[in-house]
Amino acid sequence: MNNRKIKFSEIFLNGSVFLSTFLSVLALGLIFFYVISRGTDLISWELFTGNYHARNYIAEFADLEEKTYTMPDFSGDEEVYIVSRYGIALKQDFDLAGNGVIKVHYVHPQSPFNQMYSKEVGSDVVDLDAGMIFQRISYIDHPTSLSRNGAERFASELNDPQREVFEIFFSDLGGGIRGSIITTLYLIFMTLIIAVPFGVLTAIFFNEFSSNNWMTKLMRNFIETLTGVPSIIYGLLGITVFVPLTIRLTPAVNSNLIAGALTLSVIILPTIIRTTEESLRVVPDDHRAASLALGANKTQTTFKVVLPQALPGILTATFLGIGRIIGESAALIFVLGAAVKDRINIYEPSTSLAVHIWSMMTDEPANIALSSTIALLILAIVLIINVSVKLSVYLLSKKGL
Amino acid sequence: MKGSKTSLSQIDTIIGSLLMILALVASSFIVIIATFIAIRGILPFITDNNGLGSVNVLQFLTDTVWLRGTYFISTAYGAGFIIINTLYIAFLTVLMSFPIGVLTALFIAKVAPRPLAAAMRTIIELLASIPSIVFGLVGVGLFLPLIYQLARSLGYSSGAGSSVLATVFVLSLMSIPTITAVAEVSIRQVDESLEHASLALGATPTQTRFKITLLAAKSGIFSGAILAVGRSLGEATAVSLVSGNARSGPSFGLFETTATITSTLLQGLKETSGIDYDIRFSLGILLMVVILTTNFALNFIKRKVGNVHE
Amino acid sequence: MKKSIFLLSLIFVLALAACSPTPQGPKFEEEKINVYTRDTTSGTRDGFMRGIGFADASANDSVLVAGFITADNNAIMNAMATDKAGIGYVSLSSVNNTIKALKFEGVAATEENVLNNTYKLKRPFVMMRRVDGDYLNDTEYQLTLAFLAYVASNDGADVIANAGATATSRTGTWASQVSNHPVCAQDNSAVTLKFGGSDSVQKIAEALSAAFSPACGNVKTENDHTGSGDAHKRTQGGEKDGVNYKHIGYSSRFFRDAELSGPEATRTQMAWDAIVAIVHKDNPVDGLTAEQLTKIYKGEYTLWGDVITK
Repeated sequence: MNNRKIKFSEIFLNGSVFLSTFLSVLALGLIFFYVISRGTDLISWELFTGNYHARNYIAEFADLEEKTYTMPDFSGDEEVYIVSRYGIALKQDFDLAGNGVIKVHYVHPQSPFNQMYSKEVGSDVVDLDAGMIFQRISYIDHPTSLSRNGAERFASELNDPQREVFEIFFSDLGGGIRGSIITTLYLIFMTLIIAVPFGVLTAIFFNEFSSNNWMTKLMRNFIETLTGVPSIIYGLLGITVFVPLTIRLTPAVNSNLIAGALTLSVIILPTIIRTTEESLRVVPDDHRAASLALGANKTQTTFKVVLPQALPGILTATFLGIGRIIGESAALIFVLGAAVKDRINIYEPSTSLAVHIWSMMTDEPANIALSSTIALLILAIVLIINVSVKLSVYLLSKKGL
Repeated sequence: MKGSKTSLSQIDTIIGSLLMILALVASSFIVIIATFIAIRGILPFITDNNGLGSVNVLQFLTDTVWLRGTYFISTAYGAGFIIINTLYIAFLTVLMSFPIGVLTALFIAKVAPRPLAAAMRTIIELLASIPSIVFGLVGVGLFLPLIYQLARSLGYSSGAGSSVLATVFVLSLMSIPTITAVAEVSIRQVDESLEHASLALGATPTQTRFKITLLAAKSGIFSGAILAVGRSLGEATAVSLVSGNARSGPSFGLFETTATITSTLLQGLKETSGIDYDIRFSLGILLMVVILTTNFALNFIKRKVGNVHE
Repeated sequence: MKKSIFLLSLIFVLALAACSPTPQGPKFEEEKINVYTRDTTSGTRDGFMRGIGFADASANDSVLVAGFITADNNAIMNAMATDKAGIGYVSLSSVNNTIKALKFEGVAATEENVLNNTYKLKRPFVMMRRVDGDYLNDTEYQLTLAFLAYVASNDGADVIANAGATATSRTGTWASQVSNHPVCAQDNSAVTLKFGGSDSVQKIAEALSAAFSPACGNVKTENDHTGSGDAHKRTQGGEKDGVNYKHIGYSSRFFRDAELSGPEATRTQMAWDAIVAIVHKDNPVDGLTAEQLTKIYKGEYTLWGDVITK
């Protein structure tokens, strides 16, 4: 009886271990599966290099002789509408941001859309390419065709022989994330420039120069407490301290990337200090003693003998810091806002990739496809960072042996 | 030669004091944070907020509606329900992620064969390094529809899935790797002779793992739980995407919408001045106080529990 | 250990039981109405609540039905696509085929009905520019005037219509008027016009900026939308010379008396925006009256059966 009870509890306990493990692995699997399944559709070179805000064009036809066009067969494509009158085909499609648009599917080489007069100041000709977006087309004495009404109606109105085209309004695709990629790189660069020397020198002070008294203990405690501070609080720090500070000291007039980088520096500082200290601590004391015995002073010993041996640790700390910078959202939403920009200036606000996701998720409609694509990019970077940290630790430990 | 030696040691002193200044700056950040947020956060209570009247501290700490009266005119803010929600959600999160996290750690440290354990460790590390906004995205895209369907099939109503449960799910996903990583280390450090003794006394490996190993590692395991609580109290973006941002409460039902301190903080971004903006700093103070108190309480319990069994 | 696991599962069951107990029968009439609303900062909420005659609720959460759900525009749209028992409201420009738009007082929200004033649930989009003589230079002044003329032209009306609102004026094509604005024949790519104000107008304002730029010497534009209150504040009010100054501010409500200090010529209405009550596609209700909507938002109707039968 008792035996059976024990057996039952054994099975139950073992089962719960396996179930828990399964759930943990499942969690990671779900996240990757979801992000990959939703995010791969949009991946393209244009997404990474394109502007978020589309450039608009205004044009009119250069010449208008009636022609007949032999069009390719689009009957297999869904939601493609042919405008035989002008030799183009339109497609009801989505832009990179997931909004419904009328995309130019095909332009016949002889089409009048291929050679148009621009109505803008300082440019004379402009042509319509496949992949561009129709905004609207206005006619003489007829109501304007609007992209809002869909490609089918747009095409049929354009085909209507009664209507004479007056002006054509179109734009390139837009929705690209180049601006956010550049901002992220700026933030990584500026944050590391501030935080790595700062953190490493502080770690050197604690490990090499300071005596272990109540004061350093207190200082260490203060720094350690920073790790427990949630990122949204760092956001409040950014808007109360760093934004006003940078407005006073730099040409910036508003929240700006420098303030963002300063905030991120405080966030990653404790990690860099701790990791560097750990790697300084494992440098054998013999090396220090030997260097000092040879007549070098403490400064020389620290920077020429001890620090080089701690480099792998500092490198690891840097990589971890990059991971944190790429993933940080709450603090940056506070300090930099969530408006996506194309022209990046360190004295102005713009969004990092993580904040771009936030911006897309709170946009209307929520843009899960683009968010997942950016998430995929972030996951890939985080993965690469993880692997390179592991690899460098492995290689260096091998070399050390 | 002699002269250069004294100048060398002088350099040491100079460098040492320079480094000390840096270290002082680094350690003063926590003080700067606390001071600035405290000053900004107390202002709504002690000034008349440009003629609107000051916010009542007692009401702010206890009321069950975020704002009574008209926005930007009334100062009747209440965050009592938000504090309760925040603690309740952290509690449920630990309830959910703690057993899973610890048992996964047990699996990695004691059950799994070596190559599998290494692979599992990598997986856990990866999970830990995924940014929170990605968890929020997965929460919105994957959990909200599922939870909405679940609630419907159980006969409850839920606001399109935004709920306590969704928040707890997302936070648990984020806490499990923290708990597992810390617990795994402390489980591995358990003295093997203890386990051998237990086995020799006739206990089965399973009994040993649960009754000896886990108990011996409990201090480390508890530290992991404390870290997880900290993370779930402070997480902002992912939570505000799935919580539903309720304006009154507290919400105890798993399918009700909710709001935490952090998600409410994140809602005040549209304007850049005025009482509704300033009150966010008061929430900031509240968040820090809640995190600190919880940490102290848990560390106190940890010490107590540790003492009793040793 | 077993005991504690039992305890854990018990707590979970209890937590489940604590959910708002709203059993959902198979019948739609017995479904509890899930009431969704924007938060108190929203101009859409102000327009909706005033439109249905429940102005008290425009910036005050405490008079609303208990258990209402706050969400932003996009979350309300998503919720209505999944929540069969939900009701919410959005601007007409957001309506798409994933949800069902309700008639108001028996009138459908179409452009014609908005313009001929039979559809009453609507709000104005208005603009305010800096007063004459308060510009950095004459080019900025001329560009500001040109922009206002562009918005009033047929081209501007088309852009507004394409973004989902209903323009109030069509003064002829921009091509026929551009000669009145010689500044548009210059290269203005070094000048930046700054727009701000209501965030409900943001989509339309951005579309107008994008369309205006090539039509007027590629002037650069910057849209920074923070709320209707900032339209006056940042063009003619206290922040007009601050870092966030704007040339033109948009508002999604008529300007208040306190904001009317500047000359009449600096203000103009550009469009109407219809607000539409929306429900799930499967919801059998086709239209509601102001009274019914008020009762739903007050909490006097709690079940869909109340709406259908009473």
